[in-house]
Amino acid sequence: MTRRDWATRLHLPTLGAVLVILVVWSLLSWRYGAYVLPSPGAVLRGFAGILKSGEIWGHTGASLYRIVVGFGCAVGVAILMGLAAFVSRAARGVVHDFLAVLNSTSVFVWIVISIIWFGLSNWAPIFTTFMITLPVVGSNIVEGVQNVDRRLLEMGDVYRLNGRQKFVAIVIPFTLSYLVAGMKVGFGLALKVSVVAEIFGVTSGIGYIMNYSREILETQMVFVWALVMILVMMVTDKLVFDTLSRRLARWR
Amino acid sequence: MAVKLVLSGIGKDFLIPVIDTVSFSVEAGEFVCLLGPNGCGKTTLLRIIGGIEPATRGTVLLDGKLVVADQRHDRPVGMVFQEDRLLPWMSLRDNVALVLKPLGRPLAERRAIANRYLGVVGLRGFEDYYPGRVSGGMRQRAAIARALAIEPDVLLMDEPFASLDAQNRRIMQNEVRRIWRETGRTILFVTHSIEEAVAIGTHLIMLSARPARIREAIRNDGRVERAKLIDDLNAMIMEEVERQQGGASL
Repeated sequence: MTRRDWATRLHLPTLGAVLVILVVWSLLSWRYGAYVLPSPGAVLRGFAGILKSGEIWGHTGASLYRIVVGFGCAVGVAILMGLAAFVSRAARGVVHDFLAVLNSTSVFVWIVISIIWFGLSNWAPIFTTFMITLPVVGSNIVEGVQNVDRRLLEMGDVYRLNGRQKFVAIVIPFTLSYLVAGMKVGFGLALKVSVVAEIFGVTSGIGYIMNYSREILETQMVFVWALVMILVMMVTDKLVFDTLSRRLARWR
Repeated sequence: MAVKLVLSGIGKDFLIPVIDTVSFSVEAGEFVCLLGPNGCGKTTLLRIIGGIEPATRGTVLLDGKLVVADQRHDRPVGMVFQEDRLLPWMSLRDNVALVLKPLGRPLAERRAIANRYLGVVGLRGFEDYYPGRVSGGMRQRAAIARALAIEPDVLLMDEPFASLDAQNRRIMQNEVRRIWRETGRTILFVTHSIEEAVAIGTHLIMLSARPARIREAIRNDGRVERAKLIDDLNAMIMEEVERQQGGASL
């Protein structure tokens, strides 16, 4: 391997930029004080602190639980929508229109409504996550179903495969790559949305603890939990979705 | 010999009439090549026979039974398309085994049959390959294996070698000819290549310009010298091409 390859592999240019930012950050922190902008060192110590105390797992786990439930339900319903779109042309139109409306609805609408409906409970962030990720995953699946190669379906007709056999052998494998792409985007969105919903009404989760840290004037902890969020996002992306995509692309 | 397939008064209109009236019958074991100018309705005719598309007029009888489009019935027809139409996410074996599912065969048997027919078309050793990993010629062979695997009485082939280069084309023509001799299937083969038709068909049907009628039906039994037959057919097809273009400019 050449030196250039190693440089790109280690993201050396990015690391350089990070170094510059850290220096500027330290200077600004020194100038404006720890309440407005805590120093990089304070953030790092805070991170080590929650790692040592184990606090990190409790809140991250609570957030992940809500995301997985809300997002999981959204994926399930989206798959049912895809099935309906495959079976009936009329259903495809209905699903399409509903997804368009959901897509245009603000996160805040669902947060407020879910507090009214579910009060101060786990279900508020779960419901919000569900309603926001459903149109993203759903549109992807429906698009995949729409794009299924007609010539392959016709081949299925010629060889008299029934609806279920065509669905399993042709539609599902064709749509899977759309589903994984939709899930990747949807999961990112779920993480971003559910922490916002956690500001209201619950007493655990990354969103809650960030807001709490702000209230008790521990700004460095706000930064620490933001860092945790970014790490969770990157790790799931690498571990879950990259693996899924690779699995799916086996035949390519 | 038994009559396998009877077309009587088949016609098809899309926005314009594409097939005027076509009637012919095919006996079991014949290798019929359908010829004609491009866009004259050869493919449409094959799709009507295969029951993918309904005819506007006329009837198709297969073994004395009416072929109705889009209706599930046990018509033992295999079809090879211009493109291979293999599922890219399945191995060649699974692609062939898939079409045996509606016949209610158990998995092990489906696999065994698939292996056997992949062997017939010369793909032994490639059973586990995905279509994307083999050449175009091999994919088309796999498509033929798939059509043969359901042991169809009639094999419909729609310009199956159109996407192959000259060398692969020659090889595949010989293969199909050999498979036809060995299995005794009835074959309807659409092609726009006169040389190909004369080389492999026992019967040649030349369609006219659109809307299609039968221009000429010829027994290719070697009574007419091959070169002369090719010349005659070429002259015929040029006439039809001119007529079709004349019609288009009106």
